[in-house]
Amino acid sequence: MFHYFLNHFQALNRALVRIFSNFSSSLIMFVVIGVTLFLPSSGLLIVENISQVSNNIEYDAELSLFLEKGIKQDQIDFIQSALNKTSIIKKTHYESKLTAWDKLQTKLNLNPLNTGISKNPLPDAFFISLNTFNEKEINALIDNLKTIDGVENIFFDAGWVKKLRSILYLLKIGLALLGSILIIILIVVIGNTIRLQTLTHKDEIEVSKLIGATNSFIQRPFIYTGLIYGLGGGLITILSLQAAIEIFNKASINLEAMLGGTFILKSLIWQQNLSVIIVAMLIGCFASFFAAQQSIRKFEIFK
Amino acid sequence: MITFDKVFKRYPGNMDALQNIALEILPAELVFVTGPSGAGKSTLLKLISSLEKPTSGTIIFENMNLSQLQARDIPYLRRKFGMIFQDNKLLYDRNCFENVSLPLAINDIDGIDINRRVRAALDKVGLLNKEKIMPISLSGGEQQRLAIARAIVSRPSILIADEPTGNLDKEYADEIMNIFYSFQQVGVTVIISTHELPITPIKHKKICLIGGKLKDQVSHVPLLS
Repeated sequence: MFHYFLNHFQALNRALVRIFSNFSSSLIMFVVIGVTLFLPSSGLLIVENISQVSNNIEYDAELSLFLEKGIKQDQIDFIQSALNKTSIIKKTHYESKLTAWDKLQTKLNLNPLNTGISKNPLPDAFFISLNTFNEKEINALIDNLKTIDGVENIFFDAGWVKKLRSILYLLKIGLALLGSILIIILIVVIGNTIRLQTLTHKDEIEVSKLIGATNSFIQRPFIYTGLIYGLGGGLITILSLQAAIEIFNKASINLEAMLGGTFILKSLIWQQNLSVIIVAMLIGCFASFFAAQQSIRKFEIFK
Repeated sequence: MITFDKVFKRYPGNMDALQNIALEILPAELVFVTGPSGAGKSTLLKLISSLEKPTSGTIIFENMNLSQLQARDIPYLRRKFGMIFQDNKLLYDRNCFENVSLPLAINDIDGIDINRRVRAALDKVGLLNKEKIMPISLSGGEQQRLAIARAIVSRPSILIADEPTGNLDKEYADEIMNIFYSFQQVGVTVIISTHELPITPIKHKKICLIGGKLKDQVSHVPLLS
């Protein structure tokens, strides 16, 4: 086990030596990875911020709860008190069938004598404002309300919420596609760089093979090089994002008077930053592994 | 130790490098493989060290049939040999110490042991005072001695040298051959390919190849020995 770690430590050391001995080209590689990952990461940042803003918007969607015809006042009072005790209900508004009928007639300019409608067709109803977006909580509330005697029908108006969610969902899919394309580009770029490195270390690879090195032993420093490229690139992405946020927020504060409000971007949380670095390192590792494997096989001296 | 039986090696283009080779190399033997250019000397050494695979026939080394060896086992077999090449194949971007330590790193030897063994190997070939020097600064003879140090550092039971003195003056060549003789004296099998058989003061075997065929295989006991 000690030899295993020693071997990896030596490979890491060799990778670091290679990177520092060619620092300018390594730095360019860091920047290429960093800038490429900046695009999907900034998209993620914007989506995250919009999601947070949408969560903070005053909620005015309503549940419309229609009561059975012929319901008694006692039962209506019971339903009212049940609604008042529910935590996710912000406010309720009771509208009797008479009031609703009057409003409808006034709105549509109806005359019962002309329309032939002699009886009020409308039910008593509660209009409920909620203080949550959580679909599970809302569905649980609807299921509970349906079990109460005297409740005929419940309608949930969630149109705009669904639209916003759909837009965010589409944005996330777009970002995932963009991210996938950029990841493929990165794999090609890193892979090509590692392939070129194997060519510059051709003598070392051949000598190592001659004296009994396995392909995995020869491959290891190249994989660590890819990992370090990913780490450097990931760090540049995060630093660029942070710089972009600072610049945007400063500009937003300066324009506050003109726009009548500010939109402050919040940074990604540390787990998201860590994910960016891990993804970058995995891309580097994956690309270098396959590039080195292909190249080293070509140097096979056993015929 | 190494047995060739009806070994043929044919390269693409139907060129027969070796034909019907049958020979035996015993432990701790000093073997010279001689013959003119194109006789198949290098091919013979490459077959022993598994750098090439025979087209037909069997090569037995330590009860292993090298012609049936799996590709994944080859690196482990090569670690049993110390190989020295005419162009010495040193890494010119690493110093003497780093060049010699390479086989030990491949063999998972730890740092303290690497330090001790590399210094011992460099001492053996007279290069201990040049461990931090880059190989490019060494003379031809010193470079070949460095290659020998790299070959012996992992204590192989067989040393294989392909024309190790081909590019050297007589003085340097004698120096290199003396190092090989000293290893043979301590029980290492030494196989050397060479155009001309050197005047050797110790018992040795001569394998003579001509046109890919084995001309003769004889043991010599010099009067001096």
